[in-house]
Amino acid sequence: MRICVLTWEFPPRIVGGIARHCEGLARALAHLDHEVHVFTLDFPGAPSYEEIDGVKVYRTITELGHPNFLTWALLFNHFLEKRLGDVSQQVNFDILHVHDWLTAPAGISFKYRVKKSVVLTVHSTEIGRAQGLHNPDSFAIDGMEWWATYEASKIIVTSGSMKGELCGHFHLPSDKVKVIPNAIDSTKYHVSVDRESVRRRFGVGPNEKLVLCVGRLVPQKGVEHLIHAVPSIVWRHPEAKFVIVGEGWLKGHLEYLARSSGHGWKIRFTGFLPDSEVMALMSSADVLVIPSIYEPFGIVALEGMAAGVPVVASQVGGLAEVVEHDRTGILAYSRNPESIAWGVDRILSDPDHARWLTGNAREMIQKAYSWEGIAKKTLEVYKEVQ
Amino acid sequence: MSQEVPEEFRLLCMLHNIGATKMERSLSVQEICAWTAMETSFVELHLQKLVELGYVQPIQAEGAGKYHLTPNGIRKVLTLYS
Repeated sequence: MRICVLTWEFPPRIVGGIARHCEGLARALAHLDHEVHVFTLDFPGAPSYEEIDGVKVYRTITELGHPNFLTWALLFNHFLEKRLGDVSQQVNFDILHVHDWLTAPAGISFKYRVKKSVVLTVHSTEIGRAQGLHNPDSFAIDGMEWWATYEASKIIVTSGSMKGELCGHFHLPSDKVKVIPNAIDSTKYHVSVDRESVRRRFGVGPNEKLVLCVGRLVPQKGVEHLIHAVPSIVWRHPEAKFVIVGEGWLKGHLEYLARSSGHGWKIRFTGFLPDSEVMALMSSADVLVIPSIYEPFGIVALEGMAAGVPVVASQVGGLAEVVEHDRTGILAYSRNPESIAWGVDRILSDPDHARWLTGNAREMIQKAYSWEGIAKKTLEVYKEVQ
Repeated sequence: MSQEVPEEFRLLCMLHNIGATKMERSLSVQEICAWTAMETSFVELHLQKLVELGYVQPIQAEGAGKYHLTPNGIRKVLTLYS
């Protein structure tokens, strides 16, 4: 099958989970002998065309700009569509797979041009990300999301909670939406790491406990609730140190909260780190906290589990489906610092239980979250609409 | 959302959206002001902050200071929309 993938994020243009999802799925589909063409946006240092493990990647330069984000998004879709048109002179695509609303305009136009079906993966919704629709741009994005779900022949979401959100908000028939979870390449996480040296690099001593948080620094990730939990955690575990990995517009505010907590010297913000550093940190941490208030899937939970770190996650959205409470991790109440502190204490106070949780988690990942399995399920959706 | 997007971040987003994402597409303060309809003093103040934070790279081109986003600056902008 010749598959055309449209995504605004693809490595090295990595922001959230979409880039990793598209990369994992594209590689797995190519590994199953399908022809995969990924159309995405450019990034400094990345070539405009390359082939990675059988996946053909086309990076498009947006030649025109506009200060308004929506206008810019429509402009880059124009340039994506132009590149698609060019490549389609040589390649007769069988299916178009669009990821999120951002590339939907190009995907929908292309659908009518090549008369092929569109499969849409919705990774999150505007109403969920922004916790409501608060301005004209939000309403427009919400409208484009609805339009994309209307034009798609089938929709893929990564969790049951996301399916409920999408069907409820856009009044979609249940059988149009298929749940196919995210996956990870768990072998990438079986690396030997000099734990002490990694911890030292991030200011954590051999007798201290490393509490790790990885995610974009935006409201939906709920990092402020972890910072509010720090005094309670430190009271129970004075040896705890906190490393927060990620970028986002809320960073300045979170740094201020950390300083105001009275434990600022125990909390370190690293900014964006490359995958290899994140993996090393995950393999060296004592507990990974995911304090999100909105999380359609939460791939970071799988990454933590694969790296063998015990996970404490909010009981929201996809996280509540990925983490089985007290069997593969600990679920804490969302927006509740005391509950987060309780979860961290449960892990740090009982290393045997923590080891049992991580053993169960690794087993579960291998059974349910392999890219090959997810690629086969995605192919079934392609075949249904072809 | 309970938090407002900081002013310097709003400028960073605009720089990204108008295409100042690589050296050869760097823009001068005057060009940025024209594109964004922002005051020169506002742009200069926030550009300085963004340079200090490592999100914007200043260069000298055609005898004037010009600015473009670093890879970390691009990632920072994309966190708003992803």
